Formats: sequence, C-alpha cells, structure tokens
Amino acid sequence: MRRLCIWATALLAAGAMLSASAAAATDPAPGLSATVDRAQISTQLGRSFEFRSTITNSGPNAASGLVAHLSVLSVREEPYVDPEDWSPQRVVFLDPIAAGGSRTLRWRMTAVDAGAFGVYVTVLSKDRSAAPAPNTPTIALRVSQRRTLNSGGILPLAIAVPALLGALAIMLRLRRRG
Amino acid sequence: MSVHAGARERGGQPGWVVVLEQELRELWVAGRGLVLCFALSILLSALAYLAATNQALNFLEQRESVNLVVQVGMIVGALLALLAAADAISGERERGTLESLLVAPVSRRQLAGAKLLAALSLWLAAYVILVPYAWFLARDLGIVGTALVASFVVGTLLACFLASFGLLVSLFASSNRVSLSVSLFALLALFAPTQLPGGARQGWFADLLLHVNPVTSGERFVNRVIISGSGWGQEFGWLVSPLVAAALFGAGAVVLASRLRLGGGGAG
Repeated sequence: MRRLCIWATALLAAGAMLSASAAAATDPAPGLSATVDRAQISTQLGRSFEFRSTITNSGPNAASGLVAHLSVLSVREEPYVDPEDWSPQRVVFLDPIAAGGSRTLRWRMTAVDAGAFGVYVTVLSKDRSAAPAPNTPTIALRVSQRRTLNSGGILPLAIAVPALLGALAIMLRLRRRG
Repeated sequence: MSVHAGARERGGQPGWVVVLEQELRELWVAGRGLVLCFALSILLSALAYLAATNQALNFLEQRESVNLVVQVGMIVGALLALLAAADAISGERERGTLESLLVAPVSRRQLAGAKLLAALSLWLAAYVILVPYAWFLARDLGIVGTALVASFVVGTLLACFLASFGLLVSLFASSNRVSLSVSLFALLALFAPTQLPGGARQGWFADLLLHVNPVTSGERFVNRVIISGSGWGQEFGWLVSPLVAAALFGAGAVVLASRLRLGGGGAG
C-alpha cells in the first residue's frame, strides 16, 4: 500500500510539474477557478478538521467531466505523508457546473502527523486532459504535537502479565503434584 | 471427566452446574487453561511492546496497532474456545470416559451446554488478559472504552459461534483427530477472506460474502469502530452475521446434543 502511495504521489508530482510547465505556454482551463475558504489551519495531532473548496465556472459553457482531488504534502522532509491516512475520501467526481455556476465541496481530514503541511485541491477535466488543471491556493496546515503513545511502562507490563500467569500455572501444577 | 451418579442432587444444584464446575476445575486447576493463557500473554506482550516502542507510527497507525492487538486477543481467545469445544465430546469418547458421562443423571443437552460454557471460559480469560494491553495502547488515543467494548461484544459473539461449531463437530466426530481437524479447517476457511487484498474485496458479491461470514464481518466491525472512529449504529450491519451465527450455532449445538451417541456419527 505504501509503495502504491509513493507511486501515486510521484505521479501527482509529475502531473503538477507538467501542468506548471504547460501553464507557462497556455492559459489555464478557460473560465474555471478553484478557491478555499481559509488560508491556514492550526490543529493538534489526532484531531479532525474540515475546509471547503469552491469550483467556479465563469466561462460561457457548462463545465462537465470534472474531478476534484485533495492533496496533502509535508513542506519539510519529515514526516512522510501518506495522503490516504489523512483522508479516506480524496476524490470527488463533480456533476456538470453550469456557465456562471459554482460547486462547493467539503473536505474532512484527520491530522495523523505533527508538522507543517500544505493542503490544496486540484480540479482535473476528463474531457480536456491536456489543459492545465486549476489548483486552489494552498492552505498552510500546522499540526502541533500531542502525546498519543507513551511507551513508558510497556516493558513492566509486557513482563508482568506473562510472569504472573506463568507463576500461577507452576504453582497449581506443584500443588497438584504435592 | 467423571460425574458420579448423585451429581444432580449435590447441594441442590442442577446437573449442568455440577458438570460445569467439574469441567472448569479440569480446565483451570489441571493447568491446561492457564498454560494456554500464558502463551497468549506472551504473544500480546510481544505485539504491544513492538507497537508501543515504535516512534515512526503516525496517529492512524497507532489506532491500527490497537486494532491489531485487540483483534489478535479476540481471535486467539475465540480459537481457544473452539479447540476446547472441539475436544469436549470426541475427547471423552477417545479417552473412553464418555460412557460413564452418558449414564450420569444429567440430560445430554445439559451436558453439552455445560461443556460449551466451560469452553467459553477460555475466551473470557483471554479477554481479561487482553484488557491491560488494550488499555495501555489506547489510553492516549482516547479509544480505550471503544476498543474494549467492541472487542468484548464481537469476541463473545465469535467465541459463541466457533465454540458451538466445535461442539457440534465433536458431538458427531468418531475421533478427536477428526473433530480438531474439521474445526481448524473451518476456522482457517473463515479467516482466509480477511487476508484478501483490498481490491479483491470490492463488488457486490465480495461485499455479500464479507457480510455473511461472521469472522470477516466481526473483524470489519472492529476495524471500522477502532480505526475509522465510526459509530456503532452506522456499522451495525456488520454485527448481524456474528449475532445470527452465535444464536443459530449455539441453539443448534444444545438441541442436537440429544442425538449424542457413544460411538459418534449420530448412531449407536
């Protein structure tokens, strides 16, 4: 699964680079824009949070075959980000958006690692795969550390339970023999 | 096991209570139950130590670790109950002690019920052993109650189902070897779908199979409640199969116990 995620992340990164280079040469998807309802989010490890993204079609025609994809990446080398852990629902196939219309999506996420991250939504068009995909502005996500696993005391517990049961079994056996 | 002829009247207790007491004494005082629990505790200690000392786990993976430890405790507890039940009648038959048991003033249904309860005591003991490990790993994640209640409910249902199945096989098996082999094979067959890759579990047919199989269904329920934090009402559909299987097989084992015969196979 992790290998699959690495491949998926690599493909997404490659796609983003391709779209960035294409953006220099061509206009973004005509009339299509994407925004988010906040610029930054601060939360604690293990907490759930949500934000909304709005895809607006200001072009003359209805936009159909749109796919919105939620991405999350670490802006530092650590920790490794497996987007699937952050949100199990990261892809939404959109109904056609009429000319001048918009569609708002709610994204729910869980902070599974502490650190600084970037979260954004990309809108791809199935019909115009060559066209660059509009991204929302990146939300600066800060996740503060919270103690969720205290390893102190595991060794005494891991030894004490079998020792207690072992001693009880031996005691009973000796008693039966005696 | 030896149940003397006056068992029914002893202390005014019903016959099945006398049989149960005797079974529990043999299981726990003779040491077999404690040795099995000791082995389980070593397994849980190793898993809990690995999970608790791994600093690379993220929050979700920590919940997965709790889920893993809870499921291992749950499944091994149910397995112990299955093995004890699979040995309950065919073991007596093979050791030549079934005849004296059948002439005791206790009905065959009561006999089977008492043996079933004695086998289930192994699951209860396994659960008690699981509690400190689950508490330790889940306390800072805030899911101690969820993990303990979900594992108790699902584990009890699975243990009832598997132990009843083992007892049914044991009632009619001609030898202990047959009884244990059939029970273990069935257990493996029921567990096999839990190892299928995610892609193979999609589609209506796979979904149906996962829902119908009490083991995969129970496993999925605990997964969803512990890892995804889903509500019980939301995931109740996954509890139906373990509930139905426990009730059907439990009732079946007690009802069909009246056909218990000395030679096995349902005939004289």
